[in-house]
Amino acid sequence: MRSFRALLYAECVIFARDKAALTFTFLFPIIFVLLFGFLMGGMGGAEGARLGLYMPDGGRGEVLEEVLAGIGLISVTHYGDQFALQDALEEKKIDFGLVWDGERLLFHYNSTRVQENYAFQQLATGIAAQFNLSHQGLFPILTAEKIHVGKKASTGWFSSVVPGIMAFSILSAGLFAVSGHITAMKERKLLDQMIVTPMRPIMLLSAVICVRLVIVYISTLITLLVAVVVLKLGFTIAWLRYTVFVTSSTVGVMGLGSLIALVVRRPSSASHIANVVSMLMMFLAGIYFPVEIMPSYLRALSKALPLTYMADAMRYVTGVTEMTEARFWGITIAMLVLAALLLPLLGRYIVKPDRG
Amino acid sequence: MKGILRVAEAHLRTALREKITLFWFLIFPLFLLAILTLIFGNMGTEGEISFAIAVVNLETDTAGPVDFAGIIEGVFEQAGKPSEEGKEPLFAISSPASGEALEDFLASEKKATRFGDRAAVIVIPEGFNQCLLHRMMEDGPSSSANCSLAIYVNEGSAASGMATSIIDQILAGVERDLLTRMGRFQEQKAIPTETLWVGSSGTEVRYVDFLLPGIVLMGFFVNGLFGVPGSILFARDKRVLRRYWVTPLTVTHYLAGFSVGHLMLCLVQFALLLLLGRFAFGATVTFFQPMSILFLLLAAITFLAFGFFVASVAKTANTGMAIANILNMPMMFLGGLFFPVTGLPLVLKAIVFVNPLTYLAKGLRVSLGTEAGTLSVSIIAVPLVWIAVCVAVASWRLSWDVER
Repeated sequence: MRSFRALLYAECVIFARDKAALTFTFLFPIIFVLLFGFLMGGMGGAEGARLGLYMPDGGRGEVLEEVLAGIGLISVTHYGDQFALQDALEEKKIDFGLVWDGERLLFHYNSTRVQENYAFQQLATGIAAQFNLSHQGLFPILTAEKIHVGKKASTGWFSSVVPGIMAFSILSAGLFAVSGHITAMKERKLLDQMIVTPMRPIMLLSAVICVRLVIVYISTLITLLVAVVVLKLGFTIAWLRYTVFVTSSTVGVMGLGSLIALVVRRPSSASHIANVVSMLMMFLAGIYFPVEIMPSYLRALSKALPLTYMADAMRYVTGVTEMTEARFWGITIAMLVLAALLLPLLGRYIVKPDRG
Repeated sequence: MKGILRVAEAHLRTALREKITLFWFLIFPLFLLAILTLIFGNMGTEGEISFAIAVVNLETDTAGPVDFAGIIEGVFEQAGKPSEEGKEPLFAISSPASGEALEDFLASEKKATRFGDRAAVIVIPEGFNQCLLHRMMEDGPSSSANCSLAIYVNEGSAASGMATSIIDQILAGVERDLLTRMGRFQEQKAIPTETLWVGSSGTEVRYVDFLLPGIVLMGFFVNGLFGVPGSILFARDKRVLRRYWVTPLTVTHYLAGFSVGHLMLCLVQFALLLLLGRFAFGATVTFFQPMSILFLLLAAITFLAFGFFVASVAKTANTGMAIANILNMPMMFLGGLFFPVTGLPLVLKAIVFVNPLTYLAKGLRVSLGTEAGTLSVSIIAVPLVWIAVCVAVASWRLSWDVER
């Protein structure tokens, strides 16, 4: 037990001295949350879109104004001529423009807003459809009422990104705990020195896991706190499930890290492979954008990634989305199984002679 | 001159031999270009996106003159089939199992929407046909609930939001078609809709053409931020530089050679990105014009100088890498390389304002016609000020040998 306590202390000191590990574990999730929160908080839909409107004398303005007022999601700014509207569009003072000259609806888009124009075009199609009816004195006959299902109120797009970022930080910290830290110890022959002492490999492994678990848990809490305090986001956290899930997913991804450490020829390559794996997962796991917009083969790949399920479960335990109990516990147990199957391999890796 | 070229060659060879350099400076930008283009390149294009939805038709009275409910159901069934072979249908539509009661099916589909497994559930209510027929004969809007379709959505899901806007468009098309058939909407009096793209290109800029300049600049930036201090500081810490100083090579020669090597690496990076963008994703953006070449060169030199600046403020290679890591993300994302930088708080606005990437990205994109605007003096002046400041700090502080 004394040796275990010594190992725990040593692991804490090593982590505290490792600037890169500190940065990646604590600072990066916060930077990600803050940057994406401010940059992308208003993106992802046409809600709050700003329309520039110009109506030369020929336009039946009142009908169009009524239609635009009925849309409700947009703010309308009037312009005295088409060039002023186009200038405002170029300078991004408005999101899209409309010229109604009594004969046609001419929608203007800024050609360089490639990521946002899709949402504005959808909105424009709705405006045109409604205006066409109103222009002929007709009322919409086919109405549709949108009903939000689920117990939880709509939380907004960025609220679901934050748990995704937390899941990603667990993935990185877990992968790098093994592929970065333990392989570095292997490369420096520190493991060779340790295995000739009475210490059992399981002790070292347990110390690494314990320290990383606590660090990852604290890191996710800090990230949550920043999101709540700075970005004013609200989460309803199921603490017991949260704790169980963070623990199981951290050990699960550490298991994946062991797999990487075992398949690479040189220990130092493990962290590079872990980098590639985590980056790939970050883009394909539906953290920043819905997987539905991806081509079918990327969607299939997304379903095979643990981070996709980790992000889903993290959204559930933070109260952002719903999930069946069976699915949540399925993901949690799957991560534990991953750890139970793969971490013993890490024990063997510790005592295995270096191939490099 | 020979010495300079030798140092340049050595720098380039070392960089290309290092797996980590190879990955972050060459493979990663290519990977990012590929993955982002694959994800966003065809966003909104039918055949590339697909949403899981359900249509529940509760209408039982189909004996009337028109089965509106059947028409709507049929339209969505059609949208559930691929528009052409090999493409994906817009909607993957789930249907009740044989013998399953519609109410049970609806309950399970609503639950699936709650849990994010369905993007939306469209419900056609009982009495819909009769109600819609009456509404079509009336002059004003009806308030009957039976005329209104119910769309169950999960507002917390982005997929739900996107699917709903597509459903709205389909319903608007059906509505217009029904009104035309009933002789109420006159197609010949329909108001045409036209689109005008504002910007120097006059057409819609393709995603890959918008992204490619950003990724090229990201590559140059990462190369300068990590590559320059990494190479210099590791060579200094491992006493490699000390070996240079016992040869006739001067610091100036070394610097010149290192800079040439760095620019050659940028050139390799640019060539690979251009080839991938053009031949794999059909990018049409033309870099080979004087202003674009000027901005590419200015970017490479700015980040080279910035790399020297980081090297000069770091005592060791590890500290240099830590500083680079901290600066990397904020500068990259607040430079407008991938997303527009608007609506930020004051502190972040200040970073955007002093960030050389902001000006280089705008300058390069304006010169390529993928961003609207004009090339103001500040677009060139700010990177030049950065070069001057970085060079001044580096020549004052950068130590070329380990402390004895």
